[in-house]
Amino acid sequence: MKHLKSLNKKAQLINKAISPEEVEDVVAMQTVVGCTATTDPGWELDPFGGLGSLCQPMESDLYGCADACWWPAQVPDTMNTYPDWNKDVAKANEDWRKLDGIYEDGE
Amino acid sequence: MALNNNRLKRVLMGTGALALAGLLSPAALATDAQEIIRDRCLACHTESSDAANSTFSRISDQRKTPEGWHMTLNRMEHLRDAKISAQEKRELIKYLSDTQGLAPEEAAPFRYLLEQDTNLVESGVDENLMQMCARCHSAARFGLQRRTLDEWQMLVDFHMAQFPGIELHAGSRDRPWYQLAHNETSAQLSEQYPLDTPEWNNWSKAKKVDLKGRWRVTGYVPGKGEFSAWMTAATDDDGRYNLKLEGNYADGAVIEGSGKATVYTGYEWRGTLTIDSVKMRQVMAADKDGQVMAGRMFLAMEDEIGGELRAVKDTGKAQVVAVMPSYLKAGESAELVIVGQNLDGDIDLGDGVRIDEVIARSKDRIVVTATATGTPAVNDVQVGSADSTVALAVFDQVARVDVTPTNAVTRIGGNGGEMEKVRATYRAIGYSAGADGEAGTDDDVRLGYMPASWSIEPVDEVAEHDKDHLYAGEITPAGMFIPGDAGPNPERKMSANNVGRLNVVATVDDGDSKVEGRGSMLVSVPDFVERVLD
Ligand code: HEC
Ligand code: HEC
Repeated sequence: MKHLKSLNKKAQLINKAISPEEVEDVVAMQTVVGCTATTDPGWELDPFGGLGSLCQPMESDLYGCADACWWPAQVPDTMNTYPDWNKDVAKANEDWRKLDGIYEDGE
Repeated sequence: MALNNNRLKRVLMGTGALALAGLLSPAALATDAQEIIRDRCLACHTESSDAANSTFSRISDQRKTPEGWHMTLNRMEHLRDAKISAQEKRELIKYLSDTQGLAPEEAAPFRYLLEQDTNLVESGVDENLMQMCARCHSAARFGLQRRTLDEWQMLVDFHMAQFPGIELHAGSRDRPWYQLAHNETSAQLSEQYPLDTPEWNNWSKAKKVDLKGRWRVTGYVPGKGEFSAWMTAATDDDGRYNLKLEGNYADGAVIEGSGKATVYTGYEWRGTLTIDSVKMRQVMAADKDGQVMAGRMFLAMEDEIGGELRAVKDTGKAQVVAVMPSYLKAGESAELVIVGQNLDGDIDLGDGVRIDEVIARSKDRIVVTATATGTPAVNDVQVGSADSTVALAVFDQVARVDVTPTNAVTRIGGNGGEMEKVRATYRAIGYSAGADGEAGTDDDVRLGYMPASWSIEPVDEVAEHDKDHLYAGEITPAGMFIPGDAGPNPERKMSANNVGRLNVVATVDDGDSKVEGRGSMLVSVPDFVERVLD
């Protein structure tokens, strides 16, 4: 699959899929490097290749997802890897400006 | 355009390990590096020695790139609390990637990840590995590693222990993920990416060519344009190379800089230069003879912003390395810059291309005005008896425009928050239809990068309804996309973020007609985890 556009085509297919099994069948999709293809829920894209089924705004349910290390390559998992990531940010939807990235020694 | 984004932290945190690693003599390096491992790692790892050499548990049975080793060492520090100085870390990365690195052929399919050129959708990934592994990170992250079966299995075990949710995702919970990963996927990986390969066997024995010398360099800097320059690499006391770069952009403006480079595994070139007061990094691979290097140069603080880079060694031979631009419209005149080294003799741009005037000429750069009097053709660019694989395409019509990157992700940021916006830069590539007169077929002729005007549009009705094109960002006339502000946006449904799905549209003027090309852009939420390799 080469283009995001074709993801959208797949999205239409998924929209037509009726049973949950059928959805499971098509969720493994590819996306741009750096994004996660875990889409239930997704971080960048929903299982339909769109944005409509994401937790939006992302700040509203961020910790529900970060605790469960749902997207450990995009959102620090606070369960095992970066327990202190959000310790000063009790409510992400109010204090989202304080959320910082994890920058490793990286040159 | 301001080239600098304030993603300073990444640079401030960095020890500059990859470009700054010194090289002692190989033998001294090996003893020193093994001593470092004994001092710093054996609290948890073990050493076994036989008469010939020492091996270290978990360390000796895998091979990876300098960046791959760097990432593992970062994890040892962060998660395992290993104590290691910046200098020791550099020496270890150097030693491990020299002695347990990847052969050029092994790294070749995945160079984009090393070059941080990640605005693409990976192709050719095995469906099973896609579902089991390349769901959280790139497939290149493991495609750039070689391990024994045991080591692949222990990697799976590490994932399971560190990220227990891995079994619960869609694509996992429909199957016994851990058993499959531990037994079948590991076996598949150990066949596809085994520790012992003929490629590595050959490369580790091959004599490596010293990359010091004078290089004719061509490249592209977003916002500034194409350039040609000389880069000299001189050996420093510490075995690194001191770099000096000097040349011109296509419009004549000066490009100038200096810095340092380290070569890993005999061919992996990693440079850090300050060019026109901006810190940039070079990631290139040298060919086996050490005569040509190719890769990418990008902003140290914003690795999405960069362009291709190529270097050809000056061996005293006459050589044409580029013509800018690489096309000329039939019936029209244009200024062309021929870049090369040791150039002497007549300039020949092929039948049907008349040279009207030589505006400037030296041994390495020739500026001419030329007129295409003939019919469409792809002509060799020749100067005297110089070697040349460079072509000038004479065309009658731009039939197709591709936008690069074809697929990209940018990320909202700023607005007073800690996370910076992640931007993207665009270029348009023109093609003529080729012999069959039909655009989009295999025989289309790639003409080269063309100036374009840029706009964005919603990707479909849903994006249009949500007004993604109004909220998600904007594109500058130079083709730089700047995503929207971070934070919930009360104007949007459910206070959604300024995310969106857009097409980026390039419009190229070709005489009286306009030709459009499109790329897909996902404007997304921040990526809070920045690792050495995506
Ligand atoms: C405090 C204990 C500790 C120290 C010190 C330590 N390690 Fe580790 N290392 C581990 C553990 C635990 C694992 C397995 C889990 C993992 O991969 O993170 C591991 C795994 C590894 C692996 C395999 C990683 C993979 O991707 O499969 C390598 C390579 C490694 N260590 C190298 C080193 C080096 C080199 C040093 C010294 C600079 C070092 N370690 C110091 C505990 C340690
Ligand atoms: C749940 C998301 C997820 C899945 C699924 C996943 N990974 Fe990872 N992987 C990660 C994260 C996060 C890291 C970074 C670990 C670190 O260094 O802190 C990582 C690191 C790695 C590394 C680098 C380790 C090193 O030190 O060299 C490799 C290689 C890798 N994964 C391969 C795989 C393979 C093979 C699979 C499939 C069996 C897989 N991954 C599945 C999230 C995932």
